[in-house]
Amino acid sequence: MKREAIYFTAEEIASHGKNSIPDELLSGKNLVYSSPATLAYNSPGAEGFGVKRAGLSVPESVMLIVAPGCCGRNTSLISSMPEYKNRFFYLEMSEPDLVTGNHLNKIPDAIKEVLSFLRDGGKKIPKVVMICITCVDALLGTDMDRVCKKAEDALAGGEFEGVKVRPCYMYALTREGRRPPMVHVRQTIYSLLEPMEKDARSVNIIGGFAPLENSELKEYLTLAGIRNIRQISTCKTYGEFLQMACANFNIVIDPEARAAAEDMNKRLNIPYIELTRVYSTDKIHSQYKALASVIGIDMDDSAEKAEADEAVAGLKSAYPDLKINVGECTNANAFELALSLTRMGFKVGEIYATLAPENFVYVKNLAVLSPDTKIYCNMEPTMLYYKISQSDADVTVGKDAGFYCPDIPNVAWNQDTRPFGYQGVRDLMNKIFDALKEAKA
Amino acid sequence: MGLRKVLTPFAPDQSGASGVLYSMGALIVIIDAGGCTGNVCGFDEPRWHESRSAVFSAGLRDMDAILGRDELLASKIKSAVERIGTSFVAVIGTPVPATIGTDYKALKRLIESKTDIPVVPVISNGMKLYNEGEKEAYKALIDEFASDEPANETEQLIIGMTPLTYGRDHRDLTLDDIRNIRGAKKLIAASSSGIDACEYLGKEFVIESPVYKDRIPEGIRGKTLVCHDEVAGKTLRDAGVDCDIATFFKLHDCVKQDGDKKITEEDEFIEMVRYGGYDTVAADICLKELVPDYDGNWVDLKCFAVSGRI
Repeated sequence: MKREAIYFTAEEIASHGKNSIPDELLSGKNLVYSSPATLAYNSPGAEGFGVKRAGLSVPESVMLIVAPGCCGRNTSLISSMPEYKNRFFYLEMSEPDLVTGNHLNKIPDAIKEVLSFLRDGGKKIPKVVMICITCVDALLGTDMDRVCKKAEDALAGGEFEGVKVRPCYMYALTREGRRPPMVHVRQTIYSLLEPMEKDARSVNIIGGFAPLENSELKEYLTLAGIRNIRQISTCKTYGEFLQMACANFNIVIDPEARAAAEDMNKRLNIPYIELTRVYSTDKIHSQYKALASVIGIDMDDSAEKAEADEAVAGLKSAYPDLKINVGECTNANAFELALSLTRMGFKVGEIYATLAPENFVYVKNLAVLSPDTKIYCNMEPTMLYYKISQSDADVTVGKDAGFYCPDIPNVAWNQDTRPFGYQGVRDLMNKIFDALKEAKA
Repeated sequence: MGLRKVLTPFAPDQSGASGVLYSMGALIVIIDAGGCTGNVCGFDEPRWHESRSAVFSAGLRDMDAILGRDELLASKIKSAVERIGTSFVAVIGTPVPATIGTDYKALKRLIESKTDIPVVPVISNGMKLYNEGEKEAYKALIDEFASDEPANETEQLIIGMTPLTYGRDHRDLTLDDIRNIRGAKKLIAASSSGIDACEYLGKEFVIESPVYKDRIPEGIRGKTLVCHDEVAGKTLRDAGVDCDIATFFKLHDCVKQDGDKKITEEDEFIEMVRYGGYDTVAADICLKELVPDYDGNWVDLKCFAVSGRI
């Protein structure tokens, strides 16, 4: 028995073709190895913005997790963050509940008790209660819209009348389905918006739950006469959040927000434009050009593009033979980033990521420029045997890559705030430079 | 009602089961979609960050669960067994198999027929607490491996000293310990699940916590409420502490005395502290948030299963 992690080179994968990606690289074909690298993917509440944190991105909201105790267990990691104090509550499901569905009947009383608890503790009464349910109710086929409506009705006529109750589906079972949890939660959030008069000078940036780390996009929009650029993460109050309904158009920065944007288009008459986060400055330029054309403005991004290209050149000049390993626990599409880095003139030794067919195009191009780049699947069981000292890379990008190569300088690049555009490229180059400099020192 | 307004849920049974099996060299498969395994490895298993172990998620998708695709699961396990050296496979239940009514005996036979190695199924469902999962894991291991004629006579074996109860002070059992468990000259039940395992074996045993046996935590004085695993409380009582035991986990009749209570709801703990007249509360410090007005003496008795603090 070979005790080693399975990998394929970019060339091997490209030669297999898009429809014959080896099973070892695909999700759903194997048991899932739970390296710390895959925990973020496995557990929607454990890392970054999973369903729980995402649901609570609505200002003045609290969450009642109605589920077996195991589903809420790791929430204490989040609860300890000051911004989530007194915002998570749990209604633990028992074995009889599984058979009788009685946990659903308890929800209205549980909500009243939570709201009373907050009132008695001198806390502000929330505007929204998110009900988070999990795999069990997915399998039971629970109609959560009805359950939430019933809970809202139960508040009518009392001191908590008007508090909205909405479902959040933490259905890990459906994460590769048509509406995965992170798609659904965005739809839930923006379903709270109600139609209002349009403001031609308002735009929403949707998709993220923490502010966009990008000043250039906002600058271009401001130059185009936009006065209000709203993101859910910068709305301080529920009232401010509701103002998102007056936007002239939405800019979608994460494909998982596409369904929510479609909903907003239909229900609130807000059209949307989608921008993808990429690390190729030429592609970024093309996207901004397309954006300018769609919204009918002139956009000069030459200065920002030059700055980003300069940052790339600076790193290249300081480290001409730089070899980088790239993971998927990062603010990037690992395959796109690997291809962009290769095109910048760097070497990419290894990629740790699950290869979805839509990313095959990057591997195909990578195979031409860097055929020997090794591609490992983070979830594949033999990653248990990945020898942490086997790589000869100079630096790694991604939290997971840092785990596999602990002795190599790492740029985790998985911060909550989202890098984007030229600024993303510039900041990443600078971070890599700093990590290498620090390691040298 | 099961409503928690202050505390987060405690370690569930599947974490307890995994904790018992972790050190035994098994290929552990948690039958879930990924989230439960994430909870175990990312939160409830402190050893995970120190040493890699073969803990896998079944990676179930909705149609796998709805259609009961046990064949697919068995094939995935077979494929993993072929690539990863292991002496046995453990499958651990979660709310998903509990909801679809998985037949664990049939699943065991199916996987064994494909892999030719023993399969230990642990029936857990994520709705019970960790001590129940530990108990089920010990029972399943004993059923599968404990020899009636053990090769070695161990002097003593400590059962139930897992990280979820004792954090860094845990003591792991090996598969050989289980094989020879019936030959142990002395069995020590170090926690609630240890008592259950010893009772299941039907051998004489001693109830004591090696951690607290010779060490009364500094600061305990006067009438004390110990809120931890029941064996920790009993050991302190046996060492001379004037205490009542409150536990969110199991309280066996062989431990329970007047004043002791198995508690379930947050309010029950609040009531005991408020009206019990205790000079000292010895409990994980995270419980203090339930009784901010308690101005007596508090001794932090860490319990990983409660707070997740090592």
